[in-house]
Amino acid sequence: MDLDRFRRALATTRADGCGIARWSVFASEIRRITLGTQDRETGSPHAPLTITDGLTARYRLVWDDGKVSRGAIERRALESEPEAALAAARAAAYLDPDATDVLGPAAFPEVATHDPDAAAIAGGAVEPFAPRLAAIRERVLRRDLRTWSGSMHAAVGFSRVLTSEGLDVSGAGTSAGWSASMDGEFGMGHAARRLEGFADFEARLDRLVDFVLALRAPAPARGAGVVPVLWHPDVVDDYVLTALLHNLEGAQVAHGTGAFRRSQFGTGAPVLREDLVLRNDPLLPMAAGSYRYTQEGLPSRACTYIDRGRLLTPVLDLKYARRLGLAPTPAPAAADTVFLEGPRAIPYDAALARAAGGALVLNVLGIHTQDLTSGDFSLSAPQTLAIGPRGIDGRLRGTISGNLFELLRSDALELVSFPGEHVPGLLVSCRLDPA
Amino acid sequence: MASALPAIDELDRLTDLSTDLAHRATGRGAYLFWRAQVRRVARAVVKSGNVEEVATSTASGQGLQVVTEEGRTALGSRDDFSSGPATELLSATIEAATSAGSLGVGPGSLAAMEPVVARAVPDAVGDFDRVDLAAACARLCELEREIAAAAPGVTLTLSFQTDLDAWRIVRSDGGDVTFAMPRCVLRVSASSSAGARHTVGASVADPSPRLLEDAATIATFLRRARAAARLAADLPDAPSHPAGSFPLVIDYALAKGLAHEAFGHASEADGFRSSILARGGRFRAGDVVGAPHVSIVDEPVAGDHAWQPFSATGVRRERVTIVDRGRLRDPLTDPWSAGAAGARMTGADRAESFRSAPLPRMTNIRIEVDDPLPARGEFEDYGPEEVRELIRSAGVLRRHPYVVFLSGYSGGQVNPATGDFVFNCKSIYVLSDKGAVLHKPAIFSGSMFGALHAIREGFGPLRLDALGTCGKWGQNVPSSGGSHYFLALEPDESVRLGGR
Repeated sequence: MDLDRFRRALATTRADGCGIARWSVFASEIRRITLGTQDRETGSPHAPLTITDGLTARYRLVWDDGKVSRGAIERRALESEPEAALAAARAAAYLDPDATDVLGPAAFPEVATHDPDAAAIAGGAVEPFAPRLAAIRERVLRRDLRTWSGSMHAAVGFSRVLTSEGLDVSGAGTSAGWSASMDGEFGMGHAARRLEGFADFEARLDRLVDFVLALRAPAPARGAGVVPVLWHPDVVDDYVLTALLHNLEGAQVAHGTGAFRRSQFGTGAPVLREDLVLRNDPLLPMAAGSYRYTQEGLPSRACTYIDRGRLLTPVLDLKYARRLGLAPTPAPAAADTVFLEGPRAIPYDAALARAAGGALVLNVLGIHTQDLTSGDFSLSAPQTLAIGPRGIDGRLRGTISGNLFELLRSDALELVSFPGEHVPGLLVSCRLDPA
Repeated sequence: MASALPAIDELDRLTDLSTDLAHRATGRGAYLFWRAQVRRVARAVVKSGNVEEVATSTASGQGLQVVTEEGRTALGSRDDFSSGPATELLSATIEAATSAGSLGVGPGSLAAMEPVVARAVPDAVGDFDRVDLAAACARLCELEREIAAAAPGVTLTLSFQTDLDAWRIVRSDGGDVTFAMPRCVLRVSASSSAGARHTVGASVADPSPRLLEDAATIATFLRRARAAARLAADLPDAPSHPAGSFPLVIDYALAKGLAHEAFGHASEADGFRSSILARGGRFRAGDVVGAPHVSIVDEPVAGDHAWQPFSATGVRRERVTIVDRGRLRDPLTDPWSAGAAGARMTGADRAESFRSAPLPRMTNIRIEVDDPLPARGEFEDYGPEEVRELIRSAGVLRRHPYVVFLSGYSGGQVNPATGDFVFNCKSIYVLSDKGAVLHKPAIFSGSMFGALHAIREGFGPLRLDALGTCGKWGQNVPSSGGSHYFLALEPDESVRLGGR
């Protein structure tokens, strides 16, 4: 990655009578290979083996007159015509006093983010996909599934943060993962810095198939009402963590458009049940969400956002940290470094026993249509399993509804440990309306 | 802001590169789809009267999708137009396709195509050369003040985005199309400040960045924005509506969501090995799926947010009647899926970027009802009381004394294999002889067949500017559509309001 020409342009560009007083650049170059399967057809024209090369630089410029420009440019402009790109950036400059901080050198932690095997796959040695594809096809055949769709990927990249204040940090990283959904009903997957070990992959695949087959038999008719509902970790990740992190965003807090007010942080008044903790640790080796530095050059560190149900800090980039008068925080990059913790999680089998008369929701539709600010939810749950006195009792289709924040304050809430899953499931009491 | 027309000129200058790559591919026995894209996006955001963000981005590059003599495909992409790396990429992509058999990749079947040499660059593209983001920010601040004056106690976020997305697609058979898709969107998000907060949005779109200066467009935007702000303020105190099946009235934005989620995705032919609208991989043309006075049409509409005149494989995009008076007629196909679907090729494939494999996607999709009842004036003239009067005068309240009016679309989702779909609204009103009572929004879900059979009446002319973003297989593309101002639906057990 050659940024020399860009650096020279940053030093010499004058536009509209102004030079660039300070600047920050995050550049990343990535090669990625993906292979899709659509309805049992691997590498079809709609899901082909795909090789992608890309180089992007995101910049923030502080001009002599205090105005700020933000943007992204790609390889061609970066390597051949950065001067023109920077002149165009001046045309989009605006006043934003909180966005003028640029970081200098710092000590950066070490964390393993590169796997040579994943890098080799990204370079074209895709053979490790073959036994995993074979294992999926074997399950589909042996367990009489109608169809499956999914994808596998590996990527290798190099990133660098440079600033006018002397910060210069770089590093390499990989990512690798897989996903599969069966019969169009339910899917699972895994992503990290390296491919999941084969034994773990097979165990996850078998759990997926078991759930999908359990959806085939209909449950006895049920009435509507407030019942114990066990939310699968995928539902917790897609909805609960998304909603909490959305409302913790610095911009939402600063503008008063989220559920949490600035005045609630650090006051000691609980907003969730008092044994709940939400934290992020981006220094876990080989996790998808691990990194050494943010795009602004902030050193990575573990951070607790909610402790004992109390708001400690929003998720803050440099701008909103300055706006709110708080320290900036590294943001979560993936769910495998985010911890939703509380009381000791009960095992999955124990949760099933406690949820007799209720249901296990594997998947919901419509998360992106919900109002994350109010916490009110009304979600279609077509992949739901009724739970009877002896466990799983057939498939339901229905809707779950309630208010997320009320659930997270409720004494009825329990965290549930699902085999092989990092994100916990939740056992809650909420309304279920069978279709 | 970088000049827009030279971006088109740049695509024109790539003839030698594309010709060379096509020849090299032929020399190795491969067929090439070469796609070059230049995309420029600018965005300005104003919150609570202050400029919060102005950002610009450019993205350009080429995608090389190859088909070997055995029929296997692979896709390589790179974010520049240098010939040396492109040649290496072509070689790597052909090798990947050739060796993909070891991964179980089978051959695909490519339909015969007529090479099309054409160009579609709307006049609005020239306006992108004159975008003044500083002036745009000032205008957003003005608009924010106007809206805030009508809705105190509501926090407003306004954004303005310009997006010029230009493509050139060249094929080994000589097909060569160039087109540009200009899109500009003005949005507002209103959040109530007191107590439990609710957020409601509104938007307008136009191909030209001059939409900020167009009096009629801004007048429409302000009406929608004020309504969104008032709703955000009223929703915290509104009750929840019980779950169940009810007689419904939905507006044209929700009707677009219904068409898009309930039928559109299931009509995309790449999914026909599992879609509920296919049998044995072939579209169930002729099957009755809805009421005989109801049709669903998808077609590119000039000036529309989701307009795309040519497919990502260089085929002219055609109008498709998916449901013709209650019967399935044509699916959305591409050169890979038309044959297997037993259907004509309609050029429906789109790709988010040069890095993406094209997929059959919708463009502007609408529900049409034969002999709609009149609804005079503009759509924005109709608040809940006006809708109540509209349906009362049509006799709907005599038929059903309690009607649930779902207003405003806030997104949806579907499982094409099972036919389960959902969408959400911005608000619910109960309409009866007693008046119109606001309730909190709830998920609307059900079976696609039940929904289309349940449509009883349409009111007013077609309105097709309900815009959104459609996600499929990790690719996001603009979507749009609509219907008559309002549709009335009979209660159906397979179509339910979620409740809380």
